[in-house]
Amino acid sequence: MITAIAFITAGLLLASGGNKLCAQKDTAVPFVNSPQGGGEKMLLAGEIYTTWQNTKINAFQGMPTVKENSFGSDPNFPLGLMLMPLIKLNDRLFIDVQVQVTAGVGAGLNEAIIYYRVNPYMSVFAGNFQPRSGIYEGIMDDFTNRYASAPIGMNIGVATESGIGIQGGIQCGYSKLGYQLYVANGPQLTVDSTGAQNGQVSYGNYTDNNTNKAVGGELCLLPFSNSSLELGVSGQYTPKTGNTGSPFESISNTTYAAYINYYHVFNPIMVRLQGQYEHTQTDNFNLYTNSADTAMLFKSFDNQISGWYLGLTLRPSGSQKQFISNLELGARIGALTPPADALWGGNPMNQTTICLTYWFTWKTPLNIAYDIYTQSGSPNVSVFSVRGMWFF
Amino acid sequence: MKNSKKMKTILAALAIGVISMVAINGCKAPESIAAKSGAQLWAENCNRCHNAPDPHTFSDDQWDVAAEHMRQKALLTDTEITKIRDFLKSAN
Repeated sequence: MITAIAFITAGLLLASGGNKLCAQKDTAVPFVNSPQGGGEKMLLAGEIYTTWQNTKINAFQGMPTVKENSFGSDPNFPLGLMLMPLIKLNDRLFIDVQVQVTAGVGAGLNEAIIYYRVNPYMSVFAGNFQPRSGIYEGIMDDFTNRYASAPIGMNIGVATESGIGIQGGIQCGYSKLGYQLYVANGPQLTVDSTGAQNGQVSYGNYTDNNTNKAVGGELCLLPFSNSSLELGVSGQYTPKTGNTGSPFESISNTTYAAYINYYHVFNPIMVRLQGQYEHTQTDNFNLYTNSADTAMLFKSFDNQISGWYLGLTLRPSGSQKQFISNLELGARIGALTPPADALWGGNPMNQTTICLTYWFTWKTPLNIAYDIYTQSGSPNVSVFSVRGMWFF
Repeated sequence: MKNSKKMKTILAALAIGVISMVAINGCKAPESIAAKSGAQLWAENCNRCHNAPDPHTFSDDQWDVAAEHMRQKALLTDTEITKIRDFLKSAN
C-alpha cells in the first residue's frame, strides 16, 4: 500500500512539477474521445403484424371435433409489434436493438448488440444476440417467412444469448464465406421436481449459473458467383449447464444445425428452396429426491430433440401482369422429434403447410396459409390462417 | 464426452471444408467478380432472403444505417455492402 502511494505521489510530482522532460510544444487539447470517421445516424425500423386463424381439432377416440377461431391466440401467430432502433455511431461502431411487444404477452428485449468493425473481413460484437444457427431463427422468421406459420421443428436449439464474438464475410475466388464465432453464457439446465420441464435447457440468460461458457459458431458457404446457393453448418457446445455446486453442473449440451437456401429465376418463375435440420442433445441424468437419498423421482431419458423442414416457393416474377407477379405460392413439410420418454416429450409430430402470399410491396406480405399437424396418438389439427405484416 | 467428440468432429469437418475451398478458389476476387456493379450485387444478394428493396424506401442517411444492419445480418463482404449502399443512394 505504501509502495503504491509512493509511486502515485512520484507520478503526480513528475507531471505537475514543471519538469522539462514533461514539457510539450503544444498543450492545447481540442477534443478528446471525438468520434472518428462520421457522424451518428439512426433508423427506427420494425414490423407490425396480425393474424386471424381458424383451428379445427378432429374427432379422436370418442372426443368430438373442436372448432375455434380467433385473432392471434396461438403463440405461433401472435398479434404484435417489433421495434428495431438501429444506430450507426460512426464508420466502425453500430448498435442493433430489437424490442418485441406481443399482445397478451408483454414487451421483451430480443436483441441488443454493439458491433465494432475491425477490418473489412471482421467485426467484433457483444451483447444479447441471436447466434446464427441455421437459416430460420433470426433470418427467415419475420416478413421473410413465406409460409406465415413457424416450422414445427425449429426453435428447439440455440436461442438468444449474452456474450461476445466475431463475424464477417470473405470473398474466396468466385465463392464467398461467412462466419461467426462466439462465447456466451450458454443454456441453463432445468431441474424440475415435478418432471414437467426436467431436462430442458433455457436460453436468454443475462447472468450465468456457473463459470463455464458456451462456444459456438457458424460457417456458411456461397459456392456460386451469383450468391444463389447458400449452404451452412452451425454448432454450439456447452460443457456445463447446471448450477455451480449442484450434482448436475457438468451436464453438457450440444446443438448443431445445417441448412440450404437457394433461389433462382427460371424465367418467368422465381424458385426458392429452403431447408434446415436441427439437433440438440443434453446429457442424461437421474433426478433423486435429494442428494443423500436414493429414491428416484425421475429416471434418465434419451434427451435428444431433432427437427427439420423443407420448403419450396414459386413466384411468377416475370409476369407482365403486376397482380400475378406479386403472388408467391409455397409448400412446406417438416417434423419434430422430441424425447419420447420425457414428460414434456412424446411422439414425433409432422407439419404440412401450403401458403399463398401476395406482396403489396417488397416488405409487406399478406399470407393465406393452411397447416396440417399430425401426431401418433393425438388428433389431427388443421389451421387456416391469414397473416398481414408490415415491415417499416 | 460424446457431445465433445461430436463437436470436435464438426469443427474438424468445417476446417477441412474451409481449407479445401480456399485451396481450390484462392482468396483473390476474379476480375468478373470485382467488376460487378452495385445494382447487380443488390439484385443477387438481397433476394437471398427477402425481395430486393426499393431504393426509395429510405433516405441516403437511412440507407447508411440499413446497410450496416445488413452487413452484419447477412455477413456480406465489405465490397458488396459498399457497392450496394452506393447504388441504393444513387438510385434514391
